Amino acid sequence: MEALLFNVDSGFLEGIVRGYKAGLLTQNQYNNLTQCETIEDFRTQLSATDYGNFLANEPLPISTSTISDKATQVLVDQFNYLRSNAVEPLSKFLEYMTYAYMIDNVILIITGTLHGRNTNELLQRCHPLGVFDTMPALCVATNVEELYHTVLVETPLAPYFRDSVTAADLDDLNIEIIRNTLYKAYLEDFDAFCTSLGGPTAEIMHRILSFEADRRAINITINSFGTQLSKEQRAKLFPTIGRLFPEGNNALARADDIDQVRQACEAVAEYRAFFDASGTVGGGARPNGTGHGGGSESTANLLGDLGDDLGGGAADLEDRFFVHEVHLNKLAFLQQFQYAVFYSYIKLKEQEIRSLTWIAECIAQNARDRIHDYIPTF
Amino acid sequence: MGDEYPTLFRSEQMSLVQLIVPTEVAHDTIAELGELGNVQFKDLNPNVNPFQRSFVGEIRRIDEMARRVRFFASQIEKEKEPIPIRPLYDSAPLVTVGPRAAQTIDELDVKLAEHEARLTQMNDSYQLLSERLRELVEARHVLRETAQFFEQAAVRETEHRTSLDDSSAPLLQHDDREQQYSTGELQFDLEFVAGTIDRTRLSTFERVLWRVLRGNLYMNYIDIQEPFVDPATGAETRKNVFIIFAHGDILLGKIRKVAESMGATIYPIDVNADKRADSMREVTTRLEDLQIVLYNTGANRRAELMTIGENLASWQDVVAKEKLIYETLNLLNYDVRRKTLIAEGWCPTRDIPQIQLALRHATEESGTNVPPILHELRTNRTPPTFHRTNKFTEGFQTIMDAYGVASYQEVNPGLFAVITFPFLFAVMFGDIGHGFIIFIAAAIMILFERKLAKADLGEIFGTFFFGRYIILLMGLFSIYTGFLYNDIFSKSLHLFHSGWSFAEPNGNDTSVVGIPNGHTYPFGIDPAWHGAENALLFTNSYKMKMSIVLGVIHMSFAVCLQVPNHIRFKRFSDIYTNFIPQMIFLQSIFGYLVVCIIYKWTIDWSKASTQPPSLLNMLIGMVLSPGNVDPESQLYPGQSTVQVILLLLAGVCVPWLLITKPYLQYQEMKKIQGQGYIGLGAEDVPRHTDDTTLEGEEEGNGRAIVEANDDEHEEHDFSEVVVHQVIHTIEFCLGCVSHTASYLRLWALSLAHAQLSEVLWDMTLANVLGMSGLVGIIALVIVGVMWLALTISILCVMEGLSAFLHALRLHWVEANSKHYEAGGYQFVPLSFARVNEKQ
Repeated sequence: MEALLFNVDSGFLEGIVRGYKAGLLTQNQYNNLTQCETIEDFRTQLSATDYGNFLANEPLPISTSTISDKATQVLVDQFNYLRSNAVEPLSKFLEYMTYAYMIDNVILIITGTLHGRNTNELLQRCHPLGVFDTMPALCVATNVEELYHTVLVETPLAPYFRDSVTAADLDDLNIEIIRNTLYKAYLEDFDAFCTSLGGPTAEIMHRILSFEADRRAINITINSFGTQLSKEQRAKLFPTIGRLFPEGNNALARADDIDQVRQACEAVAEYRAFFDASGTVGGGARPNGTGHGGGSESTANLLGDLGDDLGGGAADLEDRFFVHEVHLNKLAFLQQFQYAVFYSYIKLKEQEIRSLTWIAECIAQNARDRIHDYIPTF
Repeated sequence: MGDEYPTLFRSEQMSLVQLIVPTEVAHDTIAELGELGNVQFKDLNPNVNPFQRSFVGEIRRIDEMARRVRFFASQIEKEKEPIPIRPLYDSAPLVTVGPRAAQTIDELDVKLAEHEARLTQMNDSYQLLSERLRELVEARHVLRETAQFFEQAAVRETEHRTSLDDSSAPLLQHDDREQQYSTGELQFDLEFVAGTIDRTRLSTFERVLWRVLRGNLYMNYIDIQEPFVDPATGAETRKNVFIIFAHGDILLGKIRKVAESMGATIYPIDVNADKRADSMREVTTRLEDLQIVLYNTGANRRAELMTIGENLASWQDVVAKEKLIYETLNLLNYDVRRKTLIAEGWCPTRDIPQIQLALRHATEESGTNVPPILHELRTNRTPPTFHRTNKFTEGFQTIMDAYGVASYQEVNPGLFAVITFPFLFAVMFGDIGHGFIIFIAAAIMILFERKLAKADLGEIFGTFFFGRYIILLMGLFSIYTGFLYNDIFSKSLHLFHSGWSFAEPNGNDTSVVGIPNGHTYPFGIDPAWHGAENALLFTNSYKMKMSIVLGVIHMSFAVCLQVPNHIRFKRFSDIYTNFIPQMIFLQSIFGYLVVCIIYKWTIDWSKASTQPPSLLNMLIGMVLSPGNVDPESQLYPGQSTVQVILLLLAGVCVPWLLITKPYLQYQEMKKIQGQGYIGLGAEDVPRHTDDTTLEGEEEGNGRAIVEANDDEHEEHDFSEVVVHQVIHTIEFCLGCVSHTASYLRLWALSLAHAQLSEVLWDMTLANVLGMSGLVGIIALVIVGVMWLALTISILCVMEGLSAFLHALRLHWVEANSKHYEAGGYQFVPLSFARVNEKQ
């Protein structure tokens, strides 16, 4: 049936998004980029790609954050184009995609306010896809209930938030709990929505979202070692749609160290590989986090800071997760007449921007030995 | 061959030349060649990244300059009152060649940087000042609006005072504190925050505040009438003044915080009326001062932009040219050791002396005495196709290039299209009047072509202008065919004695029968046919047969065009494996049809013993039941024998076409293999070990490049030849049938055109021509205008476009498929003129 009716509403946009996808940087272009000596070379090289002259009118010298911002702007423009041309249920689907950014922005602002950062500066750092009207008012909130009642109640995030209103006041741990609760609720809701769409969309999106869920579960577990987060609380944060659910999640909830995490993931063949080599390589943490281009890791991963001793292994694991995510997103393009391509394209583009920023950063900081640590998309 | 006069018949003879340029004159040489515009440079470093090439630094610098120039242009564009940009032909040329070239560029770079710095500084200060101005204006608004509010409140205050006094203790406490620093007569119980906010965010702001303060606030807001204009972007924003009363420091703090985060500006307002008046005065005076400063800054900035505008065009030109020069230099092979650049490229063989001259000129200009060396290279690579066109032939050549660029030295159909295209168009468009209209339109475009060429015409009119000479010829030919059809705005002309005479109609019987009176109408269709009952029958039969005749002639001609190709490319076997069978096939069926058509025209059927036979049925019968001709519909005696022979001839041609060529190829292959050669193929001419090779060996460089790129040869597979020939045969034989039928569009369109123009005349002018008196004149004017408008828009433009399209198809599909290989690639020389065109 999809083949019959899909193109009536979404054929044009699918064509557009596949065209966008064809514009993603290829391995060859990445190779060229990594050979650049300076940021100007980088710009010259990028001007030969689909990015075109997006940096042409920037006065020299160009900072890496400008590159990242401009590239994100490209992504945002594309997304907005898709969104403004979409009709139900694709428009709803695209809207769901923005919720993740909203959660990130909310958390970013609350954390920032808590640490006494300037509100305007925080607003600028927010991901443009997750901006909503009342967002600036978040900085007034001093406790969770206020947060909910003043601002979030009229955003689409409100239903996700209901469960965490019980938490008393805002501190680092609670914020992290809020973030993960929100994310759990969001992922479950998104998955339910995709299931309601049915067909290949449900199938592929479930694959991607369940990986996302598992990744979060594993991250929560690893990051909660050595913090005062109790195991029951931890268990509550795990999304229930992943492939690890339920046994894996239960095992994760009981885990005390990384070995037990590994055992919990044994059941899923793909995940086993993540841990196989993680002990041996153990590269240091990335110099700039994972880039402020966006993604769930853009805000300071506070629990990660607490579990400092695991930092090296975790960063390496994080890269493997990204690689696997890219792989799953690439698979989404193999099927037609489904919405997952939109999700996957945005994720891949995001990854591309992260990689670009990484390469630019390495060039700027003259860390050429690590320049190849980016994650290629196609 | 090189000094052959250039024709459109074949593309220009090209040479692969190698230039050895000393580094000092490289820039000037390329500049000179760019002005000349007839060398296409090859990329000699295809494996090098763009940023690893020799002149990246220069390109980057030019890019930076280009960015600055773009910045100036955008600034000038944004200015509300237009700033004159002096056109390029009017400004002093900036010399970027010769010994002082580097200095000129340096100076230009510095100058641009200075201008940019100055402009950015002015922009910044202008922005800062306007920002401050905006704040002051907002403050004034806030003061003014709140004053009103306070005045109203003061009146009410006194009324309510007594009743409130003793009821609420906290308010009194509050009063006490207030009194410590505010000794004015008016005292407010509530504290407040006042400021301005973007109107679009007002509702969100209010909603958030309501929730944050749980409704413990009183908010009042007033629209500011005039919009605020952002000086940098020119965007308008509309704002509101708000004043919020709330109670308690914490709440006020929250309000301030929310307001700030929502992008509102808060202004301190005093409750005391006198102080408010004071600050109002202060704001007003500061506002006046600021406005003067702002005006001066704006005037300065404008003056700066004016000076930039003086030179902007020449800067743009220089920057674009320099960029092109360095991009070309990057294609060159850079020999670091010897301080020379080696260039390779295609150029027309005829132009080599000119290029030599340009090179010498460049050397003289740059003041050195080491001239660049040019020599021809031998190669077996296919050169690009270059047709030297002028403004007349350009349009026709473009029509053919749009189908495909001719292979190198192939017969160019663009030459013949100059006549055949307008003619086939005119066959469909034949009308003296309409032809005259488009002829006049084209003639006007040609008369004013200098003026029009400079102006930006837009996409649609620009296309018409580009094809003005095509339109001119189309108009002329339409007038000619109009005379043939004797058609002027659907009426006919009586130029000669008609061949028919009509008796006076008598009584009620209005139909009369024409009687031939012995005259023969010497040219075109006899006007007597106009209005005759069987006129349509006559013209249909006439035009249909004429289109078949024209079509078969056109196709035969196209088939014949193969021959010069076969001779030029030394494929003599193709003449009897392809050309002769194709020709026989075409002529034995459709050529025969044409002969029959003409023969049938020559016979006076009114005196013949048999009825005129239907030629269509004759042709069908010839194929379906060979040898049988119904004596009733026999055209000439012995018809059946002739037809059988012709059919057999055509039948023989099919296997002939199908088999001979692959067989010959097979034979040749066997011969070569029989001689013991394998692999490398027979086409490779042994390389001449003449002086070029020796020279190449001496040079060491450049020689290798030519050879390295010589991997274009494909090994011709035998099966490929067979498949190709099968497809070719099927395509040709079926094509002959369908293409001949396709030429019937000439008849169909010309019929449609004639009918449409007749309908238009009958529906409009025919009704009012007979009217007399004032009404008649007015009606004639109105309907006449309407008729003319419809004639031009529907009959000339729309019908013209349709006929154009069909003429295009007849050339592309019906004619080109018979001979045109179109496997070449266009010659794209380095040319500054093209850059200017693009801009």
